[in-house]
Amino acid sequence: MHLHTRLTRWLAALVGSVFLSFSLMLPSAQAAMIGTHALVQQEQLEQQRHELKQFLARDGIRDQLIAWGVNPDDARTRVDSLSAQEVAQMSERMQELPAGGDVLGAVVFIFLVLLVTDILGFTDIFPFVRSVRD
Amino acid sequence: MPAPRASALGLMLGLLVLAGCAATGPSAPSHELLPRAAVELVDVPFYPQERYQCGPAALAMMLDWSGTSVGSQALTDKLYIPARQGSLQPELVAQARQHQRLVYPIRGEPQALLDELAAGHPVLVLQNLALPWWPRWHYAVVIGYEPKRGELLLRSGTTKRHRIPLSTFLHTWARGNNWGIVTLRPGHIPATAEPGPYLAAAFDLEAAGLPEQAATAYRAGINQWPGHPGLRVALANHYYTAGRTLDAAEVLQQGVSAGAADGDLYNNLALLLADLGRWDQAEAAAQQAVRFGGPNSRQYQDTLAEVCRRYPEGGCAAETQPGWN
Repeated sequence: MHLHTRLTRWLAALVGSVFLSFSLMLPSAQAAMIGTHALVQQEQLEQQRHELKQFLARDGIRDQLIAWGVNPDDARTRVDSLSAQEVAQMSERMQELPAGGDVLGAVVFIFLVLLVTDILGFTDIFPFVRSVRD
Repeated sequence: MPAPRASALGLMLGLLVLAGCAATGPSAPSHELLPRAAVELVDVPFYPQERYQCGPAALAMMLDWSGTSVGSQALTDKLYIPARQGSLQPELVAQARQHQRLVYPIRGEPQALLDELAAGHPVLVLQNLALPWWPRWHYAVVIGYEPKRGELLLRSGTTKRHRIPLSTFLHTWARGNNWGIVTLRPGHIPATAEPGPYLAAAFDLEAAGLPEQAATAYRAGINQWPGHPGLRVALANHYYTAGRTLDAAEVLQQGVSAGAADGDLYNNLALLLADLGRWDQAEAAAQQAVRFGGPNSRQYQDTLAEVCRRYPEGGCAAETQPGWN
């Protein structure tokens, strides 16, 4: 048992040092290249920002924002200042938007609009939402 | 805290009245689609589904149409989850990719669906045949459209040519979140593709361990959108990973000539040129990247500093200016 543990530790140390030396040996160029994965994520972020802005520009939403005294242009600008994580979070909510126009859909719809405006810091209804303006 | 709660409730109730019509607006099915010719993709094979196995059957039809022969039974074994009596979208997508197909999620609009059909591409769709709170999920393949009768043709369940009024279909599709994909041989481009999502779809091939198929898709994308820098960067990264630094640099330099360069492209080009020992050009490219700025500007400055540090005969001609953002 003891031997087994010691062997495991020794192996772990060996593997660790091999990894470390490999990472030190990586060519310097690779360290600063923009990888394709990062590129794709960046594109997706821009796409999501775009969709959020389109959502805020939709007739029903625009009217509601104005009814609450929120300038729709301010809302759009604020989307630009959202972090990648916040954009992803909001974008996830958008996916849940009801597609049909039934009663259940309307309730969910309002819930989501309020959630979005909460995140943007225009309303403060849900205690679990941390506004980007906090 | 009763006061804010009460006002919140009031606000929600008020909005309920307001939003009643707003929610119906954007997705209401419309027949005002562009008039277009009737289409039926008769080449799409038909596998009648066994009980609950519409996912594997639909995917097998898509894959066979695109030229990979797989039986629906083979897919069923991999895809079907008995406890759920069905398959999940990500698993369908992953399986299509394992069969070396580019999977492109179409925009959830009737227009996109019809455009793909018109281009000869069948579309695998997810429908909810019942109601949102009592769902009956179903996968089918859309293979045709008859504008005169306002009907779509589907390979669906045990029906080879399932006719469904467009408006009915759009309702069931909307309840499936308008999810639909085309699966194409790498090198072919979906009719409704946009460069950003296309790049993501091609990269997914690379991430699934199919670098050559991804490269084929990148090349086709560059032909389609010569002005898009990302596709060129992706192809160059592919070459670089394969140890083909010269090819990688050439891809990016062609991008510069085609006017399709951005900060990321110049950044990577600078490092490749430095690896090739072309210091003057490397420095110039790094300077260009810094000039572009943007969200990666920090990285561009590091690149410039790196190139200058490695530059043999006494560093760069133009010193890096500190604080230059």
